Amino acid sequence: MSILPEELRYLESHEWVSVSNETPGIATVGISAFAVAELTDLVFMALPKVGQSVSAGHEFGEVESVKAVSPMYSPVSGTVVEIHSELVNNLESLSVDPYDGGWIMKVQMSDPSELARLLDWTSYKHQCDNA
Amino acid sequence: MSLPSVLTKFSVLQEGAPLDGASLQGIPREGVVLIDPPLSGETNMAIDEALLRDATPESPVVLRVYRWEQPTLSLGHFQSWDDCRAVPGLSDLPWVRRKTGGGAIVHDQEITYSILIPETRNKSSKGHSELLYRAIHGSAVENLQRLGWDAKLSETCTCSTATNQKEEPFLCFSRRSPVDLIIGTDKIMGSAQRRTSAGLLQHGSLLIRHSPTTPELIGLSELITQFPSKLVQEGFRDDSVGSYNKDMREKGLHDALMERGCEKVVATAPFDQTAWVNFLILVLKKGLSQIVNCRWQDRNLDEHSVFM
Repeated sequence: MSILPEELRYLESHEWVSVSNETPGIATVGISAFAVAELTDLVFMALPKVGQSVSAGHEFGEVESVKAVSPMYSPVSGTVVEIHSELVNNLESLSVDPYDGGWIMKVQMSDPSELARLLDWTSYKHQCDNA
Repeated sequence: MSLPSVLTKFSVLQEGAPLDGASLQGIPREGVVLIDPPLSGETNMAIDEALLRDATPESPVVLRVYRWEQPTLSLGHFQSWDDCRAVPGLSDLPWVRRKTGGGAIVHDQEITYSILIPETRNKSSKGHSELLYRAIHGSAVENLQRLGWDAKLSETCTCSTATNQKEEPFLCFSRRSPVDLIIGTDKIMGSAQRRTSAGLLQHGSLLIRHSPTTPELIGLSELITQFPSKLVQEGFRDDSVGSYNKDMREKGLHDALMERGCEKVVATAPFDQTAWVNFLILVLKKGLSQIVNCRWQDRNLDEHSVFM
């Protein structure tokens, strides 16, 4: 299934989250095309571990680009059930496909109502356009 | 103004005045300059980490300039200590890990700086990381050129990607990114960043002179041969070792120059650590003024600076 940016929810810090109808309790998380473009050349990414707890709005990993280390924040709370481990050796692909192929982790959500607090595409795009 | 309590223990604090005009981002900012004595690696990193961790939207912008009580290796945030075994002499040094990225630095004959820009409630101060690098390094270029050095930005890159990161040199000063400050082919200043929701921390290092630990690197002192003064060139050109001069190591620049009959010592100050600290603060303030409009109150610093 293709992930469309218009259908995602976002944190102000540029992480996206997707929830499919097939697995409604699982949130797929990544960073937006805007974030990838801002960060430019990514060289390192530190991922969480499967089984690790994450909290909405708190750091779950780190990324380095142009000697700048930036945290990645989780849009939802829950437990990491899968990580995209191949991504750390293929970070260039994020600039081509930050959504489908660029997912970072999947989280078993503990509180799906947190999704409602995230930005929709229109609000997120407005934030980026005015950055 | 709230500052992390750890600072008051170690730092000479110079408070800046609240701004009375609009800043470049429309957000009035206070600023402080911290000048620390040489401290351990752990303490130096703890201070910078505390600055970032405890930053609030009301915290001041901070410029901190410091040295290290003994030669210490700092690793970039993602670097492996095991990789330093490939560079002779490094694995014997005490070492710390920075919160910022980039390559390893031997903190010996250099001066380190950190800049903290807290996030504000109204608008993110993040922007593109290269903006702050260019602002700070561009300011250093301008001020070094004024002193006679042929400084410029590298505009070349040995930058790694996720797939070839092992191929990049271990040491920061052996790497090149487009915004690094170079003189000739030698890198003299490099910087790296850490960004969190609390703010932006930028580390940087100005290489003052050669360190025995990193014989492949030379600093501003060795590059004195680029000065336009013929006398200085004659005084410091040691043909047997190229740009590095034994007299300068043993006697210091001023004495070595005077012994050789120089009429005008144009570069005495650059070999005085205190003068370089003042120089670096001047550079940082001028560079940072392109990003955040802070007015600093440390006027004595400028009046006594030999570089003004």
